Amino acid sequence: MNRRNFLKNSAASSIASLFPFNFALANNNTSNVSDKVLVVLELSGGNDGLNTIVPYADDMYYKHRPNLGIQKEDLLIIDDHFGFNPGVVGLEHLYKEGNMAIFHGCGYENPSFSHFTSMSYMHTAAPNSGEEYGWLGRLADNMAPASYKNLLINIDQSQSLAVRSKYHVPIVFDDPNRFQRQGTDIQKNLLDTIGVSDDQVPHNKTHEYLLQLSKGANDSSNLISEAWSNYERKVDYGITAVDLDKITALIESDFPARLYYTSFRDNAFDTHVHQANVHRRLLSYASDAIRGFMEDIDRIGKTNEVILLVMTEFGRRVPENTSLGTDHGAAGPMFIIGKSVKGGHYGKISDLKNGLDDGDNINFTTDFRSVYATAIDGWLNINSKTILKKQFETFDIFSGTV
Amino acid sequence: MTVTAISIKIYILCTFVFILFFNLDFSTVEAAETDEVPNSNWIFNLEPISESDWDIKKAKHLLERAGFGGTPEEINRIFILGPQGAVNHLVNYENIPDEFLKTFNESGIHDPGLINFPPSRPATTKLARDTGEALGIKVKASGNRKMQPIVNKFFYWLRASMLETRRLAYWWAERMLITPRPLEEKMTLFWHNHFANSEAKIRDYRKLQLQNATFRKHATGNFRELLIATAQDPAMLYFLDAGQNIKGAPNENFAREIMELFTLGDGNYTEKDIREAARAFTGWNTDDLVFLVDDDKHDSEEKIVLSNIGNFDGVDVINILLAQESSAKFLVKKIYKEFVSEYYDEKTINSLAHILRENDYELKPLLKTIFLSKDFYSSNAMGTHIKSPVVLIVNTYKKLGLHEIPGIPDFNEASTLMGQTLFWPPTVAGWAGGKSWITPGLLMERGNFARSFLYPDIDFIPHDIHSYDPKIITMHEFIRRGEDITTATQASNGGENMITMSEGSMMADRDEDFNTRYGSYRGWQMAIEKVKPIKRVAAKLNISKMVLSNGARTSEDAVNYLLNRFLSVPVSDKKRLQLINFLDFALGTDDLIESESYLEDPLRLVLHLIMSEPEYQLG
Repeated sequence: MNRRNFLKNSAASSIASLFPFNFALANNNTSNVSDKVLVVLELSGGNDGLNTIVPYADDMYYKHRPNLGIQKEDLLIIDDHFGFNPGVVGLEHLYKEGNMAIFHGCGYENPSFSHFTSMSYMHTAAPNSGEEYGWLGRLADNMAPASYKNLLINIDQSQSLAVRSKYHVPIVFDDPNRFQRQGTDIQKNLLDTIGVSDDQVPHNKTHEYLLQLSKGANDSSNLISEAWSNYERKVDYGITAVDLDKITALIESDFPARLYYTSFRDNAFDTHVHQANVHRRLLSYASDAIRGFMEDIDRIGKTNEVILLVMTEFGRRVPENTSLGTDHGAAGPMFIIGKSVKGGHYGKISDLKNGLDDGDNINFTTDFRSVYATAIDGWLNINSKTILKKQFETFDIFSGTV
Repeated sequence: MTVTAISIKIYILCTFVFILFFNLDFSTVEAAETDEVPNSNWIFNLEPISESDWDIKKAKHLLERAGFGGTPEEINRIFILGPQGAVNHLVNYENIPDEFLKTFNESGIHDPGLINFPPSRPATTKLARDTGEALGIKVKASGNRKMQPIVNKFFYWLRASMLETRRLAYWWAERMLITPRPLEEKMTLFWHNHFANSEAKIRDYRKLQLQNATFRKHATGNFRELLIATAQDPAMLYFLDAGQNIKGAPNENFAREIMELFTLGDGNYTEKDIREAARAFTGWNTDDLVFLVDDDKHDSEEKIVLSNIGNFDGVDVINILLAQESSAKFLVKKIYKEFVSEYYDEKTINSLAHILRENDYELKPLLKTIFLSKDFYSSNAMGTHIKSPVVLIVNTYKKLGLHEIPGIPDFNEASTLMGQTLFWPPTVAGWAGGKSWITPGLLMERGNFARSFLYPDIDFIPHDIHSYDPKIITMHEFIRRGEDITTATQASNGGENMITMSEGSMMADRDEDFNTRYGSYRGWQMAIEKVKPIKRVAAKLNISKMVLSNGARTSEDAVNYLLNRFLSVPVSDKKRLQLINFLDFALGTDDLIESESYLEDPLRLVLHLIMSEPEYQLG
């Protein structure tokens, strides 16, 4: 077809365009989206829970950790049994304000000691199974039809299994300034309209999906850069914001997302060697960022609408290793933090004497999916059984907000 | 009724309406050759297409799906064979000579001390402590860090095997690119996703190399033989913990996955079936790379698997599984989704499953039926498949006429950025595929990938030499300036708050059995010494020659040629005009001959734009 024929043939195309391929791709058409936002922070590498929330009143702790055990006088004491690692001043603050729920001994049966495998179990909330989709992806699919755009945000270089969904398109980006197409200046107009053309007719369902997604990508790319450039950080997040400031920027801009996933990346918490200083420092980075985030959320007036769930792939082995570090272990604590949260201890506290397996790992006392279920049922007001395929115990941590 | 079923019904209905409109309209517009007229009778119709239905577009589609696409010349070679001839050529490939394909050029990184490589560093040092030796190295008689050489070697092997696996992926990708038997490689890739084992756990490229050869050997053979061979390959045995599956203490990992992911599919067995089947597989193990059955560890009591009772061994269980109708359906559905369409109906799956069972799991009759069926060439199939990152890359290089995989950009890094790494599937369930290949960020990455070989990075970092790990780099810097291992280790923990020197001097060099961070650093050095480097050449492209030699004389000819060569699904006419106008602008003329001396760069800009469009992701 040459340019002269274009007009003639575009008439044919416009007839075809009378038929839009507009099927609902999602499994329902009703939206369960409220104002409530769930943010998940992953501490990658396997955080040493035992040296995060230290059971200083338990002699066994010091027996297993002759060098790495943190002495009572160095701890940030929170009650007559536990003290926080001296690095987590931010969390201590949140705990003392009554906004931090600690879930003890979170894990699952037949734990995997591989970062990769255990994290995939945490992501799918389905250990030892072939589940394809992530728990937040399934949650998004349940919350709203796929026509609800930008419900699920994952800030990372690659998409986390946690947000993999059947219908929704998780918006995955890393640096808001780089969530864009590379190209030369003269290509700009065409790059900005990739997948967009007012005479575009989808040739099939997959094509239509890609066209919608391209438009979505251009739009979210624009929305996200706009939100980010409008955002002015007025709160101290410490050394690194662990991308939580990006989430604040989006929430402040009334971005439609309700589920956010971000991580303290690069296996940082994998502290096999000379752990004491580095672990304390990592914790202080994470905890300063979390406190900054909570203050920032308060500043933008969304304090009753946001909670933060903190998880990791596994705790570490109870006895320290010979390199002044700790090896891969099993159960460990998880947290949910927010103004609407009734702070305190939840779940059975791990028994360091009789509660260890043959490999000196903590047997789990709380199924980690109970913590997910608590957020799903208690916060988002969605039946967690439909997401997690089984009814897990939930904890009453929300002060009558739902 | 399921959601899929509803959407398919709607889809069929709508397609029908669409055709009515389209036909009505085209009865008055004569340019009927401009687009395909999808025949609604063809969807889910397994009858073979006739010679008269055959055209170049269908040949292109066949080559995209049964292979990795091709240049116009390659497509034409398939086209002239006719539908039967083309499908026979692709499926019965055994007699096509492929001796020119190079075997994998191993670096030679393995040695006998690495046999029975322990599952972890702690297990290695425990072994060394208990026996005085590990990985073929003795514990030092006295002095500091008595086990350091052993720990160094532990990390050496992790790094070396990882790097060698990346080389293996390079070799495989190149094979995909140049093989005269594309279906063989496409099916090998399919089996890699079906039996998804990862170097992340296996940590031994040799096992993955063997498994890859097994997949290729049985690529289009008999599924039963493939399943047995895969179950007895060291990679799978290791990946699913065969060594821990012993009489009295069965490990159910393999029994579960073979039912859930390899044969029956979820919901077609009970937990008891898994426990019983696990008992039948007890004693299956390997002696390094050789399969063996350890009779002492095999449970030879009676088992009940899916209502069958007997003293079964592993092969018996595989036969029981394959006797179930659900196994054929499960496999056929997966093949259908990969080769035909994500949108299927149960009746078609059942018919195809019947063919598979009738032929005792021989794959060729099934594949031939599929590739010849009207369904395969229907609007439900053509241009509906999102290419995986690996297929996208190979397909792109193939259409560009390349005969080797460029070293810049790095093949593995490029595919990883787009969401897929060969030999590193995310879970034992493989890559989810389909729509999950594309996120907004990943769609942009696909466009950025095109740019990365059209305009290679001048700050490219070859990660087969430069470690990704900043901790290792810092360790290296401190060791080089003469610091002791403890100080260097402290420093390598990094961070802006770290006052490295004072902490180091507070401690001086520690007295310890070994230092893992140093092992990690030294292991990297030892690995890059042994592992052969990847050839870092940029793609040699000549787009202007490609366009001119095919008769293009104007900017419009050039754009049309590139669109036709690279896309299976057309872009809109306005988009096409925008691209032509863009090329006019970049050339300062619409005359290619006049602009021949500076044509290359503007054409590359256009190609980059085309490859960024959503249509380019479809095949």
